[in-house]
Amino acid sequence: MLRQRENPDSFKAGVLSITVHTILLGALLVSFNWKTTHPVSIAEVELWDSLPAVNMPKPPLPTVEPEPVVKDVPKPEPKPEKVVEAKPQIKPEPKPEPEIAIKQEVPKKPVKKDPPKEPPKKTQQDDQLAKLQKQLMLDALEKPNKPPVDDALKKLQQESLSDGKPLGEQKASAAKAGVVDEFKAKIQAKIRNNVNKSLCGDANLELKFDIALLPTGELGSSPKLTKSSGNPACDEAVERAIRVSEPLPLPEDKALFSQFRALKLTFRPNDH
Amino acid sequence: MNASSDMSFFSLIAGASLPVQLVMLILIITSLFSWWYIFIKVATIKRAERDAEDFEDTFWSGGDLNKLYDVITANRRKPQGMASIFEAGFKEYARHKQQTRMDVSDVMEGSRRAMRAAFNREMDELDAHLPFLASVGSVSPYIGLFGTVWGIMNAFRGLSNVAQATLTQVAPGIAEALVATAIGLFAAIPAVIAYNRFASSVDRLSVRYESFMEEFTNILQRKS
Repeated sequence: MLRQRENPDSFKAGVLSITVHTILLGALLVSFNWKTTHPVSIAEVELWDSLPAVNMPKPPLPTVEPEPVVKDVPKPEPKPEKVVEAKPQIKPEPKPEPEIAIKQEVPKKPVKKDPPKEPPKKTQQDDQLAKLQKQLMLDALEKPNKPPVDDALKKLQQESLSDGKPLGEQKASAAKAGVVDEFKAKIQAKIRNNVNKSLCGDANLELKFDIALLPTGELGSSPKLTKSSGNPACDEAVERAIRVSEPLPLPEDKALFSQFRALKLTFRPNDH
Repeated sequence: MNASSDMSFFSLIAGASLPVQLVMLILIITSLFSWWYIFIKVATIKRAERDAEDFEDTFWSGGDLNKLYDVITANRRKPQGMASIFEAGFKEYARHKQQTRMDVSDVMEGSRRAMRAAFNREMDELDAHLPFLASVGSVSPYIGLFGTVWGIMNAFRGLSNVAQATLTQVAPGIAEALVATAIGLFAAIPAVIAYNRFASSVDRLSVRYESFMEEFTNILQRKS
Protein backbone atom coordinates (compact mmCIF):
# COMPACT_ATOMS: atom_id res chain seq x y z
CA MET A 1 0.00 0.00 0.00
CA LEU A 2 2.68 2.43 0.93
CA ARG A 3 5.88 3.11 -0.92
CA GLN A 4 9.14 2.74 0.89
CA ARG A 5 9.99 6.41 0.65
CA GLU A 6 6.61 7.38 2.06
CA ASN A 7 7.14 5.59 5.34
CA PRO A 8 8.67 8.53 7.21
CA ASP A 9 5.55 10.65 6.44
CA SER A 10 2.91 8.01 6.99
CA PHE A 11 2.49 8.40 10.74
CA LYS A 12 2.32 12.19 10.60
CA ALA A 13 -0.16 12.02 7.73
CA GLY A 14 -2.35 9.53 9.59
CA VAL A 15 -2.48 11.77 12.65
CA LEU A 16 -3.33 14.77 10.48
CA SER A 17 -6.07 12.85 8.71
CA ILE A 18 -7.70 11.82 11.97
CA THR A 19 -7.38 15.39 13.22
CA VAL A 20 -9.20 16.70 10.16
CA HIS A 21 -12.06 14.30 10.76
CA THR A 22 -12.39 15.08 14.44
CA ILE A 23 -12.35 18.81 13.65
CA LEU A 24 -15.15 18.37 11.14
CA LEU A 25 -17.17 16.25 13.53
CA GLY A 26 -16.72 18.86 16.24
CA ALA A 27 -17.77 21.64 13.86
CA LEU A 28 -20.87 19.68 12.92
CA LEU A 29 -21.86 19.09 16.51
CA VAL A 30 -21.29 22.70 17.52
CA SER A 31 -22.69 24.55 14.53
CA PHE A 32 -25.84 22.52 14.01
CA ASN A 33 -28.86 22.90 16.25
CA TRP A 34 -29.65 19.25 16.52
CA LYS A 35 -32.45 19.60 19.07
CA THR A 36 -35.84 20.54 17.79
CA THR A 37 -37.19 23.56 19.66
CA HIS A 38 -40.85 22.86 20.26
CA PRO A 39 -40.88 23.55 24.01
CA VAL A 40 -40.10 27.24 23.37
CA SER A 41 -43.47 27.92 21.78
CA ILE A 42 -45.23 26.45 24.79
CA ALA A 43 -43.32 28.85 27.03
CA GLU A 44 -44.63 31.73 24.88
CA VAL A 45 -48.16 30.80 25.75
CA GLU A 46 -47.37 31.24 29.41
CA LEU A 47 -46.13 34.74 28.69
CA TRP A 48 -49.43 35.65 27.07
CA ASP A 49 -51.27 34.36 30.07
CA SER A 50 -50.28 37.17 32.42
CA LEU A 51 -51.16 40.17 30.24
CA PRO A 52 -54.92 40.05 29.68
CA ALA A 53 -55.54 38.75 33.18
CA VAL A 54 -54.90 42.28 34.52
CA ASN A 55 -57.25 43.92 32.04
CA MET A 56 -60.06 41.50 32.59
CA PRO A 57 -60.79 41.10 36.26
CA LYS A 58 -64.58 41.41 36.07
CA PRO A 59 -65.87 39.91 32.88
CA PRO A 60 -64.63 36.40 33.47
CA LEU A 61 -66.76 36.11 36.60
CA PRO A 62 -70.15 36.47 34.95
CA THR A 63 -69.12 34.53 31.92
CA VAL A 64 -67.38 31.72 33.69
CA GLU A 65 -70.48 30.97 35.74
CA PRO A 66 -72.88 30.41 32.92
CA GLU A 67 -72.20 27.14 31.20
CA PRO A 68 -73.37 27.11 27.60
CA VAL A 69 -76.80 25.96 28.75
CA VAL A 70 -77.10 28.68 31.36
CA LYS A 71 -76.02 31.29 28.86
CA ASP A 72 -79.03 30.48 26.77
CA VAL A 73 -81.29 31.51 29.61
CA PRO A 74 -80.08 35.12 29.91
CA LYS A 75 -80.43 35.48 26.19
CA PRO A 76 -84.20 35.97 26.27
CA GLU A 77 -83.76 38.78 28.79
CA PRO A 78 -82.11 41.18 26.41
CA LYS A 79 -84.73 40.46 23.83
CA PRO A 80 -87.63 42.05 25.71
CA GLU A 81 -85.42 45.05 26.36
CA LYS A 82 -84.78 45.34 22.72
CA VAL A 83 -88.51 45.23 22.14
CA VAL A 84 -88.98 48.03 24.64
CA GLU A 85 -86.36 49.98 22.83
CA ALA A 86 -87.91 49.24 19.54
CA LYS A 87 -91.26 50.70 20.57
CA PRO A 88 -89.95 54.21 21.17
CA GLN A 89 -88.16 53.95 17.90
CA ILE A 90 -91.40 53.22 16.19
CA LYS A 91 -93.07 56.15 17.89
CA PRO A 92 -90.94 58.81 16.24
CA GLU A 93 -91.99 57.51 12.89
CA PRO A 94 -95.56 58.67 13.13
CA LYS A 95 -94.31 62.10 14.18
CA PRO A 96 -93.11 63.11 10.75
CA GLU A 97 -96.67 62.73 9.54
CA PRO A 98 -97.96 65.36 11.93
CA GLU A 99 -95.12 67.56 10.80
CA ILE A 100 -96.25 67.26 7.27
CA ALA A 101 -99.79 67.92 8.41
CA ILE A 102 -98.70 71.12 10.08
CA LYS A 103 -96.82 72.17 7.03
CA GLN A 104 -99.90 71.51 4.97
CA GLU A 105 -101.94 73.56 7.33
CA VAL A 106 -99.53 76.43 7.15
CA PRO A 107 -99.89 76.96 3.43
CA LYS A 108 -103.63 76.82 3.92
CA LYS A 109 -103.59 79.75 6.27
CA PRO A 110 -102.32 82.19 3.66
CA VAL A 111 -105.17 81.05 1.48
CA LYS A 112 -107.54 82.00 4.27
CA LYS A 113 -105.78 85.28 4.69
CA ASP A 114 -106.19 86.23 1.08
CA PRO A 115 -109.77 87.24 1.44
CA PRO A 116 -109.05 89.51 4.47
CA LYS A 117 -106.24 91.08 2.50
CA GLU A 118 -108.72 92.44 0.01
CA PRO A 119 -110.03 95.02 2.43
CA PRO A 120 -106.91 97.14 2.76
CA LYS A 121 -108.15 98.83 5.92
CA LYS A 122 -106.58 96.61 8.44
CA THR A 123 -103.15 96.47 6.87
CA GLN A 124 -101.35 96.90 10.16
CA GLN A 125 -103.37 94.16 11.76
CA ASP A 126 -102.71 92.08 8.69
CA ASP A 127 -99.01 92.72 8.98
CA GLN A 128 -99.12 91.75 12.60
CA LEU A 129 -101.14 88.72 11.71
CA ALA A 130 -98.69 87.89 8.97
CA LYS A 131 -95.81 88.26 11.40
CA LEU A 132 -97.57 86.08 13.90
CA GLN A 133 -98.29 83.57 11.23
CA LYS A 134 -94.69 83.61 10.07
CA GLN A 135 -93.56 83.11 13.63
CA LEU A 136 -96.06 80.33 13.96
CA MET A 137 -94.80 78.83 10.73
CA LEU A 138 -91.21 79.13 11.84
CA ASP A 139 -92.12 77.68 15.21
CA ALA A 140 -94.06 74.96 13.56
CA LEU A 141 -91.10 74.23 11.29
CA GLU A 142 -88.63 74.36 14.13
CA LYS A 143 -90.61 72.53 16.72
CA PRO A 144 -90.90 69.26 14.88
CA ASN A 145 -87.11 69.10 14.92
CA LYS A 146 -87.20 68.96 18.68
CA PRO A 147 -90.50 67.44 19.49
CA PRO A 148 -91.28 67.20 23.17
CA VAL A 149 -92.21 63.62 22.63
CA ASP A 150 -88.67 62.97 21.55
CA ASP A 151 -87.31 64.52 24.72
CA ALA A 152 -89.59 62.36 26.68
CA LEU A 153 -88.38 59.38 24.79
CA LYS A 154 -84.81 60.31 25.40
CA LYS A 155 -85.56 60.74 29.06
CA LEU A 156 -87.21 57.37 29.05
CA GLN A 157 -84.25 55.86 27.37
CA GLN A 158 -81.86 57.56 29.73
CA GLU A 159 -83.96 56.45 32.63
CA SER A 160 -84.06 52.95 31.35
CA LEU A 161 -80.33 53.10 30.86
CA SER A 162 -79.63 54.63 34.27
CA ASP A 163 -82.17 52.42 36.01
CA GLY A 164 -80.97 49.35 34.26
CA LYS A 165 -77.27 49.71 34.78
CA PRO A 166 -77.06 46.29 36.31
CA LEU A 167 -79.32 45.20 33.54
CA GLY A 168 -76.99 46.83 31.05
CA GLU A 169 -74.04 44.98 32.44
CA GLN A 170 -75.94 41.79 32.29
CA LYS A 171 -76.87 42.62 28.78
CA ALA A 172 -73.24 43.30 27.90
CA SER A 173 -72.06 40.09 29.45
CA ALA A 174 -74.89 38.27 27.76
CA ALA A 175 -73.89 39.82 24.46
CA LYS A 176 -70.32 38.81 25.12
CA ALA A 177 -71.47 35.34 25.94
CA GLY A 178 -73.38 35.40 22.68
CA VAL A 179 -70.29 36.44 20.78
CA VAL A 180 -68.25 33.81 22.59
CA ASP A 181 -70.82 31.17 21.72
CA GLU A 182 -70.98 32.36 18.16
CA PHE A 183 -67.24 32.11 17.72
CA LYS A 184 -67.12 28.79 19.49
CA ALA A 185 -69.66 27.58 17.01
CA LYS A 186 -67.60 29.07 14.19
CA ILE A 187 -64.46 27.32 15.45
CA GLN A 188 -66.31 24.06 15.72
CA ALA A 189 -67.79 24.47 12.27
CA LYS A 190 -64.42 25.24 10.75
CA ILE A 191 -62.84 22.21 12.40
CA ARG A 192 -65.78 20.03 11.51
CA ASN A 193 -65.35 20.95 7.85
CA ASN A 194 -61.80 19.63 7.97
CA VAL A 195 -62.60 16.33 9.66
CA ASN A 196 -62.20 13.33 7.42
CA LYS A 197 -65.53 11.78 8.33
CA SER A 198 -64.83 8.54 6.55
CA LEU A 199 -62.36 7.68 9.32
CA CYS A 200 -65.02 7.94 11.99
CA GLY A 201 -67.37 5.33 10.60
CA ASP A 202 -71.11 5.56 10.93
CA ALA A 203 -71.34 5.22 14.68
CA ASN A 204 -72.51 8.20 16.65
CA LEU A 205 -69.22 9.10 18.28
CA GLU A 206 -68.45 11.92 20.65
CA LEU A 207 -65.02 13.20 21.60
CA LYS A 208 -63.75 16.13 23.59
CA PHE A 209 -60.65 18.18 23.02
CA ASP A 210 -58.88 20.77 25.14
CA ILE A 211 -57.42 23.42 22.89
CA ALA A 212 -55.02 26.18 23.87
CA LEU A 213 -55.20 29.18 21.55
CA LEU A 214 -52.91 32.11 20.90
CA PRO A 215 -54.37 35.58 20.24
CA THR A 216 -53.57 35.08 16.56
CA GLY A 217 -55.92 32.14 16.37
CA GLU A 218 -53.12 29.64 16.20
CA LEU A 219 -52.75 26.69 18.50
CA GLY A 220 -50.59 27.34 21.54
CA SER A 221 -49.90 23.67 22.06
CA SER A 222 -51.05 20.41 20.64
CA PRO A 223 -54.73 19.72 21.28
CA LYS A 224 -55.38 17.40 24.19
CA LEU A 225 -57.85 14.62 23.88
CA THR A 226 -59.92 14.57 27.07
CA LYS A 227 -62.57 12.15 25.99
CA SER A 228 -61.82 9.61 23.31
CA SER A 229 -64.47 8.39 20.93
CA GLY A 230 -63.10 4.89 21.25
CA ASN A 231 -61.96 4.98 17.66
CA PRO A 232 -58.29 6.06 17.53
CA ALA A 233 -58.46 6.78 13.82
CA CYS A 234 -61.37 9.13 14.42
CA ASP A 235 -59.55 10.82 17.31
CA GLU A 236 -56.57 11.37 15.09
CA ALA A 237 -58.71 12.64 12.25
CA VAL A 238 -60.27 15.26 14.52
CA GLU A 239 -56.88 16.23 15.93
CA ARG A 240 -55.52 16.69 12.44
CA ALA A 241 -58.59 18.70 11.53
CA ILE A 242 -57.89 20.99 14.48
CA ARG A 243 -54.32 21.47 13.33
CA VAL A 244 -55.39 22.09 9.75
CA SER A 245 -58.00 24.63 10.81
CA GLU A 246 -55.37 27.08 12.02
CA PRO A 247 -55.86 30.01 12.31
CA LEU A 248 -59.15 29.57 14.08
CA PRO A 249 -61.68 32.40 13.94
CA LEU A 250 -61.54 34.72 16.96
CA PRO A 251 -63.63 37.79 17.80
CA GLU A 252 -62.18 41.21 17.08
CA ASP A 253 -62.58 42.18 20.69
CA LYS A 254 -59.31 41.31 22.34
CA ALA A 255 -60.94 41.44 25.74
CA LEU A 256 -62.92 38.36 24.87
CA PHE A 257 -59.83 36.39 24.07
CA SER A 258 -59.51 35.16 27.62
CA GLN A 259 -62.57 33.03 26.89
CA PHE A 260 -60.73 31.31 24.09
CA ARG A 261 -57.36 30.76 25.68
CA ALA A 262 -58.38 27.34 26.89
CA LEU A 263 -61.26 25.90 24.95
CA LYS A 264 -63.11 22.70 25.65
CA LEU A 265 -64.68 21.55 22.46
CA THR A 266 -67.00 18.62 21.91
CA PHE A 267 -67.20 17.00 18.53
CA ARG A 268 -69.77 14.67 17.08
CA PRO A 269 -68.33 13.99 13.64
CA ASN A 270 -71.43 12.24 12.37
CA ASP A 271 -73.95 14.62 13.87
CA HIS A 272 -75.15 17.19 11.39
CA MET B 1 -45.20 11.89 16.27
CA ASN B 2 -43.52 13.19 19.42
CA ALA B 3 -42.59 16.78 18.96
CA SER B 4 -39.34 16.74 20.88
CA SER B 5 -37.58 14.06 18.87
CA ASP B 6 -33.87 13.86 19.48
CA MET B 7 -32.19 14.60 16.15
CA SER B 8 -28.59 14.50 17.30
CA PHE B 9 -25.90 13.41 14.87
CA PHE B 10 -25.22 10.15 16.65
CA SER B 11 -28.85 9.18 16.98
CA LEU B 12 -29.24 9.84 13.26
CA ILE B 13 -26.43 7.42 12.51
CA ALA B 14 -27.57 4.87 15.08
CA GLY B 15 -31.16 5.02 13.86
CA ALA B 16 -30.29 4.31 10.25
CA SER B 17 -30.87 0.89 8.76
CA LEU B 18 -28.00 -1.60 8.41
CA PRO B 19 -27.16 -1.02 4.72
CA VAL B 20 -27.09 2.72 5.30
CA GLN B 21 -24.83 2.22 8.30
CA LEU B 22 -22.54 0.02 6.22
CA VAL B 23 -22.40 2.68 3.54
CA MET B 24 -21.54 5.28 6.15
CA LEU B 25 -18.81 3.05 7.57
CA ILE B 26 -17.29 2.46 4.14
CA LEU B 27 -17.38 6.15 3.38
CA ILE B 28 -15.80 7.13 6.68
CA ILE B 29 -12.97 4.64 6.16
CA THR B 30 -12.51 5.87 2.59
CA SER B 31 -12.44 9.43 3.78
CA LEU B 32 -9.83 8.62 6.44
CA PHE B 33 -7.64 6.86 3.89
CA SER B 34 -7.99 9.55 1.26
CA TRP B 35 -7.01 12.20 3.77
CA TRP B 36 -4.10 10.05 4.88
CA TYR B 37 -2.89 9.74 1.30
CA ILE B 38 -3.45 13.41 0.71
CA PHE B 39 -1.14 14.32 3.56
CA ILE B 40 1.43 11.72 2.47
CA LYS B 41 1.31 13.04 -1.08
CA VAL B 42 1.65 16.63 0.06
CA ALA B 43 4.80 15.69 1.96
CA THR B 44 6.37 13.51 -0.78
CA ILE B 45 5.69 15.93 -3.62
CA LYS B 46 7.00 18.82 -1.61
CA ARG B 47 10.12 16.81 -0.83
CA ALA B 48 10.57 15.81 -4.50
CA GLU B 49 10.30 19.44 -5.59
CA ARG B 50 12.82 20.52 -2.98
CA ASP B 51 15.20 17.72 -4.00
CA ALA B 52 14.94 18.66 -7.67
CA GLU B 53 15.67 22.27 -6.77
CA ASP B 54 18.71 21.32 -4.71
CA PHE B 55 20.06 18.90 -7.31
CA GLU B 56 19.68 21.40 -10.14
CA ASP B 57 21.57 23.94 -8.07
CA THR B 58 24.49 21.62 -7.43
CA PHE B 59 24.49 20.19 -10.96
CA TRP B 60 24.58 23.55 -12.72
CA SER B 61 27.09 25.02 -10.29
CA GLY B 62 29.75 23.61 -12.62
CA GLY B 63 31.47 20.99 -10.44
CA ASP B 64 33.08 17.83 -11.62
CA LEU B 65 30.51 15.21 -12.65
CA ASN B 66 32.64 12.35 -11.22
CA LYS B 67 32.75 14.08 -7.84
CA LEU B 68 28.99 14.68 -7.94
CA TYR B 69 28.42 11.02 -8.76
CA ASP B 70 30.66 9.98 -5.85
CA VAL B 71 28.77 12.24 -3.45
CA ILE B 72 25.42 10.85 -4.57
CA THR B 73 26.41 7.19 -4.39
CA ALA B 74 28.25 7.70 -1.11
CA ASN B 75 24.98 8.80 0.49
CA ARG B 76 23.45 6.08 2.61
CA ARG B 77 20.03 6.93 1.26
CA LYS B 78 19.08 5.65 -2.15
CA PRO B 79 19.12 8.61 -4.57
CA GLN B 80 15.69 10.02 -5.40
CA GLY B 81 14.25 12.09 -8.19
CA MET B 82 16.71 13.86 -10.48
CA ALA B 83 19.63 12.45 -8.52
CA SER B 84 18.57 8.90 -9.29
CA ILE B 85 18.21 9.74 -12.99
CA PHE B 86 21.66 11.29 -12.98
CA GLU B 87 23.09 8.31 -11.13
CA ALA B 88 21.59 5.76 -13.54
CA GLY B 89 22.69 7.70 -16.63
CA PHE B 90 26.20 8.41 -15.40
CA LYS B 91 26.74 4.82 -14.18
CA GLU B 92 25.77 3.44 -17.58
CA TYR B 93 27.96 6.03 -19.32
CA ALA B 94 30.97 5.18 -17.14
CA ARG B 95 30.52 1.47 -17.72
CA HIS B 96 30.41 1.93 -21.48
CA LYS B 97 33.36 4.26 -21.28
CA GLN B 98 35.47 1.50 -19.71
CA GLN B 99 34.81 -0.69 -22.73
CA THR B 100 36.61 1.59 -25.19
CA ARG B 101 35.67 -0.25 -28.33
CA MET B 102 32.05 0.90 -28.15
CA ASP B 103 30.62 3.49 -30.49
CA VAL B 104 29.68 6.91 -29.10
CA SER B 105 26.10 6.64 -30.25
CA ASP B 106 25.75 3.26 -28.56
CA VAL B 107 27.10 4.70 -25.32
CA MET B 108 24.66 7.60 -25.50
CA GLU B 109 21.80 5.26 -26.33
CA GLY B 110 22.61 3.02 -23.37
CA SER B 111 22.84 5.82 -20.86
CA ARG B 112 19.65 7.33 -22.23
CA ARG B 113 17.82 4.03 -21.76
CA ALA B 114 19.12 3.79 -18.22
CA MET B 115 17.93 7.32 -17.49
CA ARG B 116 14.54 6.58 -19.06
CA ALA B 117 14.15 3.57 -16.78
CA ALA B 118 15.06 5.62 -13.71
CA PHE B 119 12.66 8.34 -14.84
CA ASN B 120 9.84 5.81 -15.14
CA ARG B 121 10.51 4.51 -11.66
CA GLU B 122 10.46 8.05 -10.31
CA MET B 123 7.21 8.81 -12.08
CA ASP B 124 5.70 5.67 -10.65
CA GLU B 125 6.62 6.83 -7.17
CA LEU B 126 5.16 10.25 -7.79
CA ASP B 127 1.95 8.89 -9.27
CA ALA B 128 1.33 6.52 -6.36
CA HIS B 129 -2.11 6.84 -4.73
CA LEU B 130 -3.34 9.33 -7.29
CA PRO B 131 -5.66 6.71 -8.86
CA PHE B 132 -7.07 6.02 -5.40
CA LEU B 133 -7.83 9.70 -4.89
CA ALA B 134 -9.43 9.86 -8.32
CA SER B 135 -11.66 6.88 -7.55
CA VAL B 136 -12.69 8.30 -4.19
CA GLY B 137 -13.48 11.62 -5.81
CA SER B 138 -15.68 10.12 -8.47
CA VAL B 139 -17.26 7.15 -6.70
CA SER B 140 -17.88 8.14 -3.09
CA PRO B 141 -20.74 10.55 -3.97
CA TYR B 142 -22.44 7.61 -5.65
CA ILE B 143 -21.90 5.40 -2.63
CA GLY B 144 -23.38 8.11 -0.44
CA LEU B 145 -26.26 8.53 -2.85
CA PHE B 146 -26.89 4.82 -2.73
CA GLY B 147 -27.12 4.96 1.06
CA THR B 148 -29.49 7.92 0.83
CA VAL B 149 -31.74 6.25 -1.70
CA TRP B 150 -31.86 3.14 0.43
CA GLY B 151 -32.73 5.12 3.54
CA ILE B 152 -35.42 7.14 1.76
CA MET B 153 -36.89 3.95 0.32
CA ASN B 154 -37.20 2.62 3.85
CA ALA B 155 -38.70 5.86 5.09
CA PHE B 156 -41.38 5.85 2.42
CA ARG B 157 -42.09 2.17 2.85
CA GLY B 158 -42.92 2.86 6.48
CA LEU B 159 -45.31 5.54 5.25
CA SER B 160 -47.40 3.09 3.27
CA ASN B 161 -49.08 1.66 6.37
CA VAL B 162 -50.39 5.03 7.49
CA ALA B 163 -53.70 6.41 6.25
CA GLN B 164 -52.73 10.06 6.50
CA ALA B 165 -49.16 10.82 5.56
CA THR B 166 -47.46 13.55 7.53
CA LEU B 167 -44.00 14.99 7.18
CA THR B 168 -43.08 13.96 10.71
CA GLN B 169 -43.27 10.33 9.73
CA VAL B 170 -40.73 10.59 6.90
CA ALA B 171 -38.54 13.46 8.06
CA PRO B 172 -36.33 11.50 10.50
CA GLY B 173 -35.74 8.75 7.96
CA ILE B 174 -34.79 11.22 5.26
CA ALA B 175 -32.49 13.09 7.64
CA GLU B 176 -30.78 9.82 8.51
CA ALA B 177 -30.43 8.91 4.88
CA LEU B 178 -29.03 12.29 3.91
CA VAL B 179 -26.17 11.86 6.37
CA ALA B 180 -24.79 9.22 4.00
CA THR B 181 -24.69 11.69 1.12
CA ALA B 182 -23.06 14.27 3.36
CA ILE B 183 -20.28 11.88 4.32
CA GLY B 184 -19.83 10.84 0.69
CA LEU B 185 -19.45 14.45 -0.40
CA PHE B 186 -17.11 15.15 2.45
CA ALA B 187 -14.89 12.32 1.24
CA ALA B 188 -15.16 13.23 -2.43
CA ILE B 189 -14.55 16.98 -2.46
CA PRO B 190 -11.06 17.00 -0.88
CA ALA B 191 -10.08 13.94 -2.91
CA VAL B 192 -10.97 15.64 -6.19
CA ILE B 193 -9.22 18.87 -5.24
CA ALA B 194 -6.13 17.00 -4.08
CA TYR B 195 -6.10 14.80 -7.18
CA ASN B 196 -6.14 17.75 -9.52
CA ARG B 197 -3.47 19.57 -7.58
CA PHE B 198 -1.18 16.55 -7.30
CA ALA B 199 -1.64 15.63 -10.97
CA SER B 200 -0.51 19.08 -12.04
CA SER B 201 2.45 18.99 -9.64
CA VAL B 202 3.52 15.58 -10.92
CA ASP B 203 3.21 16.82 -14.51
CA ARG B 204 5.44 19.74 -13.79
CA LEU B 205 8.00 17.50 -12.07
CA SER B 206 8.01 15.08 -15.00
CA VAL B 207 8.62 17.93 -17.43
CA ARG B 208 11.50 19.04 -15.25
CA TYR B 209 12.98 15.53 -15.15
CA GLU B 210 12.65 15.09 -18.90
CA SER B 211 14.33 18.36 -19.73
CA PHE B 212 17.11 17.46 -17.31
CA MET B 213 17.51 14.15 -19.09
CA GLU B 214 17.91 15.88 -22.46
CA GLU B 215 20.40 18.39 -21.12
CA PHE B 216 22.41 15.72 -19.33
CA THR B 217 22.53 13.60 -22.50
CA ASN B 218 23.95 16.59 -24.33
CA ILE B 219 26.63 17.06 -21.69
CA LEU B 220 27.61 13.37 -21.81
CA GLN B 221 27.75 13.48 -25.59
CA ARG B 222 30.09 16.47 -25.46
CA LYS B 223 32.32 14.64 -22.97
CA SER B 224 32.61 11.46 -24.94
